[in-house]
Formats: sequence, C-alpha cells, structure tokens
Amino acid sequence: MTLLWLITVLLAGGALSWLLGSPLLGSLLFGSSLLGRANTRLPRWIALATLLLAGGMLVEIWHGGPLPGRSWYAEVALPWIPRFGIGLQLGLDGLSLLMVALTVVLGIVAVLASGDEIKHRHGFYHFNVLWMVAGVIGVFTAFDLFLFYFFWEVMLIPAYLLIAVWGAEQRQRAAMQFFVFTQSSGLLMLLSFLVLVYAHHAVTGVVTFNYFALLGTQFAPALAQWAMVGLVIAFLVKLPGVPFHTWLPDAYTQAPTGGSILLAGIMSKTGAYGLLRFVVPMFPEASRTLHWPMMLLGALGVVYGGMLAFAQSDVKRLVAYSSLSHMGFVLLGIFAWNELALQGAVLQMVAHGVSIAALFVIVGVLAQRVGSREVSRMSGVWAAAPKLGAMGLIVLVATLGMPGFGNFVAEFMVLLGTFKVSVAVVVVAGAGLVLAALYALSLMQRAFQGPPGNTVIADIGVAQLTLLLSLIAALVYLGVHPQPVFDLWAPTLSELSARVPGL
Amino acid sequence: MNMLWLVPTLPFIGFLLLFVTGGKLGKGAVAALGAGSMFLAALLAFWIGMQFEHAGGVPFRLPVWQWIETGGLTVQGAFYLDGLSLVMMGVITGVGFLIHLFATGYMAEETDYSRFFAYMNLFVAAMLVLVLADDLLVLYIGWEGVGLCSYLLIGYNHHIADSVTAARKAFVITRIGDVGLALGIFVLYRAFGTTQISALMAHAQAAWPSGSVICSAAALLFLVGAAGKSAQTPLQTWLPDAMAGPTPVSALIHAATMVTAGVYLIARLHVLFMLAPDARFAVTAVGLLTLFIAAFAALVQTDIKRVLAYSTMSQIGYMFFALGVGAWSAGVFHLMTHAFFKALLFLSAGALSLALHHEQNLFRMGGLWRKLPLPFLGMAIGAAALTALPLTSGYFSKDAILLHSFGVQENGPIFWAVASGASFLTGLYSMRMMMLAFFGATNTEPHDHSTAAARLAMQVPIVILAVLALAGGWFGVASLNTVLPDHGVHEAEGMPSWLPVVTAGIPILGALLGWLLYRDQRGFVTRVANSSQIAPVKTLLATGWGFDSIYDALISRPMMLVVRANKNDLLDMLVRFGAGLMRLLHDLLALSENGQLRWYGANMALGTIVLLLFVVGVL
Repeated sequence: MTLLWLITVLLAGGALSWLLGSPLLGSLLFGSSLLGRANTRLPRWIALATLLLAGGMLVEIWHGGPLPGRSWYAEVALPWIPRFGIGLQLGLDGLSLLMVALTVVLGIVAVLASGDEIKHRHGFYHFNVLWMVAGVIGVFTAFDLFLFYFFWEVMLIPAYLLIAVWGAEQRQRAAMQFFVFTQSSGLLMLLSFLVLVYAHHAVTGVVTFNYFALLGTQFAPALAQWAMVGLVIAFLVKLPGVPFHTWLPDAYTQAPTGGSILLAGIMSKTGAYGLLRFVVPMFPEASRTLHWPMMLLGALGVVYGGMLAFAQSDVKRLVAYSSLSHMGFVLLGIFAWNELALQGAVLQMVAHGVSIAALFVIVGVLAQRVGSREVSRMSGVWAAAPKLGAMGLIVLVATLGMPGFGNFVAEFMVLLGTFKVSVAVVVVAGAGLVLAALYALSLMQRAFQGPPGNTVIADIGVAQLTLLLSLIAALVYLGVHPQPVFDLWAPTLSELSARVPGL
Repeated sequence: MNMLWLVPTLPFIGFLLLFVTGGKLGKGAVAALGAGSMFLAALLAFWIGMQFEHAGGVPFRLPVWQWIETGGLTVQGAFYLDGLSLVMMGVITGVGFLIHLFATGYMAEETDYSRFFAYMNLFVAAMLVLVLADDLLVLYIGWEGVGLCSYLLIGYNHHIADSVTAARKAFVITRIGDVGLALGIFVLYRAFGTTQISALMAHAQAAWPSGSVICSAAALLFLVGAAGKSAQTPLQTWLPDAMAGPTPVSALIHAATMVTAGVYLIARLHVLFMLAPDARFAVTAVGLLTLFIAAFAALVQTDIKRVLAYSTMSQIGYMFFALGVGAWSAGVFHLMTHAFFKALLFLSAGALSLALHHEQNLFRMGGLWRKLPLPFLGMAIGAAALTALPLTSGYFSKDAILLHSFGVQENGPIFWAVASGASFLTGLYSMRMMMLAFFGATNTEPHDHSTAAARLAMQVPIVILAVLALAGGWFGVASLNTVLPDHGVHEAEGMPSWLPVVTAGIPILGALLGWLLYRDQRGFVTRVANSSQIAPVKTLLATGWGFDSIYDALISRPMMLVVRANKNDLLDMLVRFGAGLMRLLHDLLALSENGQLRWYGANMALGTIVLLLFVVGVL
C-alpha cells in the first residue's frame, strides 16, 4: 500500500504547492506582507519536503526487503474498472525500484536546480514538477496496461507545461512539437494495448488489461508484429531513438533547467523501460525481427547524436544531443539482449540520468551567468569561475566515458555484451567514443578555456557546488562499485532471460 | 608486499588532498604534498622491490576490491607484480619523484601551483595503476587516466588557446588508439570470457595456434592502442604539439609515464604477439618507420623541446622495433635507460630555458656552456646517452636491440641497417642541438631569478639523473629474465665480429659530422638549408613529414564538412518539411475562406457544373 501512498503524496504535494503558491490563497493565509516571499519560496519547500517524504517511503520499502518468497518489494492490486478488467495494479521489483529511486533523486535535483531561473508562478511550476515525477513513478510501477497509459499521460501534460510556460524564447514551438510527437506516439501505444486486449479476449474470453495475464498470451504472429511496432515507436520517441528524436533538441534546450533534467534524466528512461518491460517479454518472437535493426539504430544513435552534438554552438543543445548519443547505448544494450549488455544498459540509464542532470545544471548556470547559450559568447570562464570550471571538467570527463565514473562501466559493458552478438555494430558504436571526446572537450575548450572574455561572471555558490559534488560522488560510486545496481535488479533480469533466452 | 596497493594510492591521496583544498594551501605545503607523496611512493616501491627480489622474484597478486561481477563478467580490482611491472613501477616512481622535485622549483613562480601538482600526482597514480593492473579492464582505467592527465597538463595554461588545442588533440588522437585497445579487449573477452591478463594469456597459449587470424586481429588492435599512446606512426602527431605543456610535464610524459605505456602493453601481452607473427611484423614496421621519420624530423627543429619530442618518438620507435624483432628484454631495458636520459634532457632543457626567460628557440641560444654549467653538463650527458656513446646507459640498451635485430631470421641485416642509419641521425641531431645551444656566439644572456631553494630543487634531480643516465645501464635489468620470452638481455650469437664495433661507431660518426657542420661558422649548413632544392624538404621535415596536413585534408576537413552540413539535423528538416507542407495546404485552403459571397457563389456554380459533368459521364 505504501507504493500507492508514495504516488498520492506526490500528487497531493503538487496540488498543495499550487494552492499555497497561488496569489489568492497565499494572501489569505499569510497576509499581504508575506505574499512575495511565500509565493516564491513556499512552493519550493513544499516540493522538496514532498519529494523527501516520497524518498523516505521508498527507502522504507527498500529497507523492508522483498516480499516473502518473492523478488518483489511491493505490490498493490485493487479493482478499478472491473467491467473492462482494469485494475489498480502497482508493483515494485528491483528494476522498478532502481528507476523510481532515480526518479525521486532527480526530482530533488530538479527542484534544487531551478532556484532563481523560475521567475513567475512558482506554485504552478512545482505542481508540474511533482506531477511529472508522480507520473513517471506511476509508469515505472504500473502493471496494468490501462494504468500504464494513464500515468504515461499524467507525465506528459506537466512536461508540456514546463516547456510551454517557463521555457526559453522559442518555448511555444518546442512545447507544441514535443506534444505532437509524444501524444501521437502515446495514441499508437494505446492502440497497441487495445489490440492486445482484444486478441487476448478472442483467445481466452476474458477482458483484462493485467500485465501478467497478457504476458503469457500467444498472439498470432502478424498481429504481434503490428502491436509491437506500435509500442516500439511509442517508446523510441520517448527514448529518443533515431529517427524519432527530432523533438528532443528543441524540447531539452527550451525547457528550464529543472524541466530539462526531468525530460532527459528520467522521462527518457520510461522509453527504455517500456522496451525492456513490455516489448521484448511480450513479443519475444516478433522482437527477434527487430534484433538487428534496433541494434543498428542504437549504434547509429550513438554516432549520429555525437556528430550533432559536436556541430552545436548552443551549449544546451550540445548537451541535448549528447543525451541522444548516450541513450543509443541503452537501445543497443537492450536489443543485444544478453545479461552483460542488459546490465550495462540499465546501469547506463542510471548513470546517464545522473550525469545529464549535472550537465544541465552546469550549462544552465553557465547560460544564465553569461546571458546567452551561445558558446561564442563565452570564453575562458574558468578564469572567472574556477569552481564552475572544475565541475564542468569533471562532469564532461565523466560523460565522455572516463573510467572511474558510472558511464564508463555502463558503456563498456554494453559494448562488451554486444560484441558477443555483433562485431560490426560495436565497431560503429566505438566511433561514438571518439566523438564523445570531441564534443565534450570542444565544449570544455570553447566555454571554459581560452583567453578570458570581457564579461566577469560570478562563480557558483556553496549550494550549487554541493549539489554538483553530490552528483559527481554518485557517478564515482557507480563507477567504482556498481555491484549494488547489478544485484538489485538481477532477479528481474533472470526472469526476463528465462522468458526470452536470447534474440 | 601487501603494501603494493599503497604505491599508486600515495600519489592518488596527494591528488585528492590538493584537489579538495582547491588552491588554498601555501606553496610549501603543496610542494610537500605533491613531491612528498611521490617520495614516499618511490621509497615504498624500492622497498617492495627489495622484498620481491628477496622472495626470489615470484609473481605476486594482490586483490583489492571486487569491481564487477555479473552476466559472465568478473573483474577483480587487483594488482600484479612481476619483474616487468617491477621495472615499470621503479621507473615511474623514481623518475617521477625526481621530476616532481624539479617541478617544485621550476614552477615556483606559477600562480596555479596546487592544480599543477594535483594533476601531476594523478598522472603518476594512473600510470601506476596501468602497469600494476592484473586485469585488462583495470589496465584500461590507468590507460584512460594517463590520457586524461596528459590532456589536463598539456592544457595546464588553460587561458592560452594553443595549449588547449594541443591538449585536445592529444586526447582525441590517443582516444582513437584507445578504441583499438577496447576492441582488443572485446575480442579476448569474447574468446575466453575473462579479462584477467594472466588467465587470458594462458588461454590464448592453449587455444590459439600460432598465426591464427583471431589472435593476429587481437594483437593488431592492441598495437593500435599502443601506437596511440606511444606516439607511433600513424598516430604520432599529438606528441610534438604536446610540448605546449610546462617542461616538467613533458619530462613526465616522455620519461616516466604515458608514451611508455604502449611499449609496456605489448611487452605485457607478449604471449599474444608471440602467437601472431603478422602482428609482430607490424610492430617492427611501425617501430622502424617511426624511428626513421622521427629522427629526420628532429634534424631540422628549431625549438629545443621539439627536438627532444621527436627524439622520444624515435627512441620509442626503437623500443617497438625491439619488441617486434623479439628483443623483448632489450626493448624494456631501453625503456628504462631512455627514461633516465630523456628525463635528464628535459629537466636540463627546462633549467636552461628558465634561465633564458622561457626561450626555447635553439637559434636564439648559443655559447651557454660556461654560463649555465649544470644544464650544459646535464644536456651533454643526456645527449651522449641518447646517441648511445659507449659506456653510457643508452649504449647498452640500444646496442642490444641493434645487435639482436641483425640476427633475425628474415631481413635481419636490413632491419639492422635501417635502425643503425637512424642512430647515425640520432648522433647528428643530438650534436646539432648541443652545438646550437651551448657553443658559438651568445645570442641571449641568461638570468637566473630562482631562489636558492628552488635552484637546489632543480639541481638535485639533474645530478641524480645524470648519474643514472651514465651508469644506469651497467647492470642490466635482471628482473626481466623470468618474465619475457627471450629470458633477459644477452649477447647475440654467431654474428660477424665487425658488427659490435660498427654498431657502436655509427652514432659516433653522426655526432662527429654534427660537430664538423656546426663547429663555428655554419656557413655550409646554412647554405644547404636555404638552397632552393633543400628548403622544401626542410619545411616538410620541420612539420614532421606533413602528417598534420594530410590528416587535416583527408579526415578533419571532410568530417567537419559533414558535421557542419548536418548541424541542423537533416532528419529534423524532413520532419519540418512535412509540417511546412501541412501549413502550406492549410494556408491555401484558408484562402478560399475569404468571406466574399461572389467567390462562394462562383465556387458553388463551378462545383455543380463539375458534378453534373460527372453525372452525365463526360468526366
């Protein structure tokens, strides 16, 4: 039941921060003298407290260990719309736990990172952050297809609003593009789900959206193929995978820092999670036909994203494309489908989430202090802001896959695992390692190094430094001692590989 | 020997402390931390070496932590000590410490003192991890680590655009090699399911017949990695530019860390290379080519540090050559003696240029031998060892390589002739460097601004290294005997009696020629160099045979063209084109909604007519 409460707390916290942050209620409660402060600070504290509470609940579940005799940590099964076989089926296994933990942590980071960048409607902003986090957690824990779709939509709308209301100069366009892409792909997913439910009904006579009930169903090959393609497209858009990535640079760039962190750090993981949890286990046969195309798409994404990142002069856009490159490794690892590659892919999801959050914090601060995202307006920032420079250096070095950081272990394992399946794909993706060095160091060189520019900018304060150092510490931990991550979802992995031994 | 983990950890702690304090410490404290941690590491390494020899030189493995254990991959973070890694550890900590000590004096005037020593300590720590690694994945940590630190140190002056560009170039080019190394690891893992070096070697020995394709492929991939890190053709172009870093950095890169990593890698994986004659031939060819072209390039450099850079490339070429022709121990021996004399050369050159306000152009020096006696002596001894004059350390190691190469089954005499020809050039360019810098007319007056303490910190390492460069080869390296397949450095048998004499004489002839040409007036050399036939050749050599321009034209430019052309993502443009098309259609249709009754009437009439025609059957 704690699981359901966890999501409810986030939803309620969001509502509360909107209410108390709104001018009307805020003034009623606090009086006009406190109005200004309450409006800006209070929602932030509420959001933080809510996320910490959710984190505490998660730790409690985690600490409680798996349910007796099972590998699951929590489970909720309540009837919702029994007539259509729709239930409030929530579950938390190792994989979900890992993803939910990442979501809560990055939620906190997003709140902390959006300090002075948000200038209006603080209450509503934090409402959106919390609802998006709640939606993502719902996606990671839903084991009813209808419920999954429901949460999928719950996370989309706040994400849309985060871009459209608090975004940069081209926010409307970026938000619309994001909405069209994700909404249409979401509808494809719903269609696929409905097809599945009908097919299941045709075979068994039972109408159900239950994941476990549908999991074992044998579908006609042609039907499975089409249903799977719908799902794959929906998840690829979210990941994003080439060629469905074109919404990404605008959305990631135009969103406020907090929004970018949530979009790139956790929302992209829902796509990978969907492929891992739904596509391959539900359609093992049909997935086989996608084995090669998807691995190729993954490798292509690594290289294509790296090339695009290297070409950018907008710092945030560069980071956005680097995300495309790194998520290519996840796609590659999932469709290589052996234990090593899958472990690597999931570790990459975690490590990339943390590193991309740190990167967005850094370029966010950089752009804000310089007053532009154009790298040509920056030069020699290190001289004026050595702390920011040092943080930038460390995070960029982690991003380009330096041993000692989680990203390295993840990417290396994905490549090592994929190499067992295909040498050619690994050779292609290997070029991505060189490209990563190129774009990361070119950002370093153009923004931080070189002769100092005319503008004097302030260095980061203790709060931001602490935030960045914590993220770096997490990356180092993942790089030096990744075993807990492996072990945590190993039971899920062995269930998956028992169901689908190989593609 | 259970303290082995502490050897890389000590400089790493130095790095951590310097990093955490972030420049708040005084220079004295920084120097104590930076050089002190290295001193302790060197002391400990020496002590462990004594213990190791005392225990009979039995390889020793020390597990430290469990890194990865999942999906059929088990990587234990463990250190491994045998004769080979012992030699490397000794060179890295010993020479590394001396360079650190020198740097405390040399860098005394710099503002970013703490950052410098933090990077230097990390550099040494990474290199130690590399040579002590028991597992290829752990080796890869060190491998990438030295790449990172070279990047950081070459670009230490981060406000100077050129040094930053040189730093990035070094990192990217060595990264290309790193991908080769990674792929090599993948091949071995796919074949044997482990990445532990000794297990892999045992498996390879058992499973792969000599000359098998897969083994050659793996060995060649490792060669790519080694060539990148060791600045061998075709991945050598980063090294001359890496001179942008402060001189102690160059000393560290050229002597104690970084460029020797490739030599170590091949020596460490010798089993693999023994099974792959093709790959071994490739190693020979790469070494021979590099030692030759780098020696030529060194002939015409005007920057003293660039002369030394090309000489390093050339000497590493000798080491590769040695590994390729099977003179394994001699190759590693040369690595060690080279570390002594190259560190000596760099530190002396550093002391020299410091006294000349960071002047590095040979043609603005001259006549300095009386005025700067210690740098002169250091350079002279270093150059003598580099030239391999008899009884210097370089003589023992290089002659062992050359003599061995003569006896190689196929093409032995040809190998010997090419390599000896290059050693003639070595003598020539070393003597040219000495004559230009220290003899003839004085072009720049030296001024020594250093404090007494700083001066002492620079002098002591030069003296110690001078002794090592002279005598460091007298006793050989016995500890290699049990590790490498040729069981130590020894006399080649059955060679003609004139061979040792000629081999030793050729570099002396080169030096003599250098002395004759650059003795006083230099009129002849200048005339030749400026003649219209020779000038283009000189320019070609000065740019290191134009590799940069070739790569620029063949790789960088086309790639930049593609990257720039695709800056706005062609796929996105396709999507936008679709959106634009919709908008166009929308606009066209919207035109029809103009609110004018006569327009609507006309359209209705037109529609009716078309429909009628359709019904009648005309359409």
